[in-house]
Amino acid sequence: MSEKQPEKKKKRLKTAEKLGKLMADYYTESAMIKAQKKPVAWLTSVAPVEICYAMDVFPVYPENYATVCAARNLSAEFCAAAEAKGFSTDLCSYALNNFGSIYLNKGPFMGQGIPEPDMLIATEHACLSMAKWWEELARHFDVPLYVVDASLPVGDEIAPYQVKYFADQLKELAEFVEKHSGNKFDMDKFKEVLTYSDEASALFLEVADLRKTVPSPVSPIEMFTNMFPLVTLAGKKESVDFYREFLEEIKDLASKKVPAVPNEKYRLIWDLFPVWYNLKLFKYLEERGGVVVADVYATAFGGSIDISRPFEGLAERYVGNPLLSFGVQEQTELYKQIIKDFHVDGIIFHSNRSCRMASMGQYDVKQGIYEDLGIPGAVFESDFVDPRTYSDEQVKDTLDSFFEILESKKQ
Amino acid sequence: MISDFQEKYAKRHEIAKQWKNEGKKIFGYFCGYVPEELIDAAGIIPVRILGSLDKVTLVDTHLQSFICAFARSCLDQGLKGTYDYLDGIVASKTCDIMRNMPSIWSRNIDIPFTAYIGAPAKRTDAARECLIEEFKILRSNIEEFIGKKIDDESINKSIEIYNQSRILLRELYELRSDDNSSLSGSDFYQVVKAGFVMPKEEYNGMLSALKSDLTSAQSSNGEGVRLLVSGSTFEDVNVLKMIEEAGGNIVSDDLCVGSRYFWDRVEPGPDPIRALADRYQMRVTCPCKHPSDERLERILEEVKRNKVQGVISIVQKFCDTHLFEYPYMKGVLEKNDIPFLYLETEDRLGEEGQFKTRVQAFVEMLQ
Repeated sequence: MSEKQPEKKKKRLKTAEKLGKLMADYYTESAMIKAQKKPVAWLTSVAPVEICYAMDVFPVYPENYATVCAARNLSAEFCAAAEAKGFSTDLCSYALNNFGSIYLNKGPFMGQGIPEPDMLIATEHACLSMAKWWEELARHFDVPLYVVDASLPVGDEIAPYQVKYFADQLKELAEFVEKHSGNKFDMDKFKEVLTYSDEASALFLEVADLRKTVPSPVSPIEMFTNMFPLVTLAGKKESVDFYREFLEEIKDLASKKVPAVPNEKYRLIWDLFPVWYNLKLFKYLEERGGVVVADVYATAFGGSIDISRPFEGLAERYVGNPLLSFGVQEQTELYKQIIKDFHVDGIIFHSNRSCRMASMGQYDVKQGIYEDLGIPGAVFESDFVDPRTYSDEQVKDTLDSFFEILESKKQ
Repeated sequence: MISDFQEKYAKRHEIAKQWKNEGKKIFGYFCGYVPEELIDAAGIIPVRILGSLDKVTLVDTHLQSFICAFARSCLDQGLKGTYDYLDGIVASKTCDIMRNMPSIWSRNIDIPFTAYIGAPAKRTDAARECLIEEFKILRSNIEEFIGKKIDDESINKSIEIYNQSRILLRELYELRSDDNSSLSGSDFYQVVKAGFVMPKEEYNGMLSALKSDLTSAQSSNGEGVRLLVSGSTFEDVNVLKMIEEAGGNIVSDDLCVGSRYFWDRVEPGPDPIRALADRYQMRVTCPCKHPSDERLERILEEVKRNKVQGVISIVQKFCDTHLFEYPYMKGVLEKNDIPFLYLETEDRLGEEGQFKTRVQAFVEMLQ
């Protein structure tokens, strides 16, 4: 979900141009939004943006914004500015980037940051830091905050009372947005938004599934950047149109066996976040014949919605995603399945200092997969947004040794 | 007297092994959000798993260096076999690290019973209703494990014993802030810690004896600068001793391993599960819960009530929830003209020199 790459050379995919336009439209609207007097909500990722779209509230994602700042080389300065105010350098750099850009009143869009919020909406089930981060935003801007809390199992299926707890809060959230936007909640409009969100997600997952094709018809950078509409435009018709075209294009390439990356030699799983200021890392893999064909990061944002029970259905889309209830054993089993279905040779784990929640347990998952299937993994450590401690040399050393192992396995 | 408590904690693993030989079952639990009463009512002895000052040797192949020293130490002890006597572990959703702990523990360490409570973070009626369901599931899972029912009467009895503990600890806490008390903050910390690893009935006896001993004592530690210590868990009592040696008198606390653990009692009611959920959902907050303003409000109240001259925060490095709240806490204390010192630890005191200088300077400033 980053900006398109800065270099202006022609994109491989026709839909890449479309994505550029969708993003430009979104950020242009974002820059004009205050003049239009449209209410603005700041949301965490994996938050029910559909409720905002149903009530014509403009959603802003500080996390997506952090990836843009990272791609534009602004995140180091922003993180440092947050630290100067007393926030620990050990905190999530998405948050530090956001705080810093607020304090410096700077950003990548015509020198501007993102439009200030009229209300704040957070979930805390993907990580607790989000709730703490949003509490701080509520204090800073002195605007109302709604935290959608969750009770989730680990290693078990979500129980009906847990779905109910989340769904009841979504109803409360709709009232909250109604109250602070002045816009009326309309069930028909809500259902229409849910239908678009559901369709976009299904189409995106269908593309992800096409990565089973050997050679892979789509590259990891194309997948990660094309997540933007899935997260930010969930519930907009534009996102459905976009993914329909994306799917057609990839389907066509898959049937013609056109590889996304020449010389595909090793098919890889990428565990978790890209390094947003260094997407070139994927190119480094590709030069060595390594192509990422699966990741659970992007697919964690997908999920189907039962429109006939709108609030419960939406709750299930967000907290019913089994990925969010996985322990190390379930994560290991999922990867084992992906390895079989996607013909995978190895796994790269990005151990992200900023995301303790998702990085904790990676060593055990790697070990479990190796024990059961003999498929090797490599763990490299970095931060997804803050480049200040990033060591390209160290990361590449790790990847080089990993390729040696893959090479020896192929022989 | 204090040495008795100290010894109970120091010998906790030996003592637990004796229980084991006597045929008793023992569960380890993480965090003060696990309803120990339910475990106790099943006839199982709950012991809190805490960090250790021993060097970690096995954890590096499981947890990254950016996971807090507390969690790393807990798992390391498990991997070393320190907790081999446990029949089960129980964790509750406080922070993201605790959320991940049981699944990693049970993958690597042989443990017959593992339970995780997906505790909500909010302090609302709906959250409490959700926690009731979580507690019901925990109850039935324990019942299945021991092969018999845990009746309401047993839970009520456990609630009574645990409440007694909380009342006694609260009385000692109040005594500590009394100028004429001989109970120092570091002593009190050792007293609280012993309670994590002892059957509460025995512990209550020791607390009562300590209380009558203290009320008749003449000695005083009321000379120093009156301080409130706040923060997450930490293992090294020397952190507190150093503050006292510098001339501080710790009269009050907001610690995970201090008053936050025992502050609130369970209000007994017709349904003991509901009574427990009420207490655990609404108890004095850890920064893991939302909203957590009440924690700061309580600190301000305690400062006023106990004539506190300064606040020292002791926070575990990499503890996200405490770290997120630090600038806010600093701002609120400054606004109220309360001097504030912030110390970050990695479970142990580590490089003593630097801390010592800062603590001494802080206490001197307040003298």
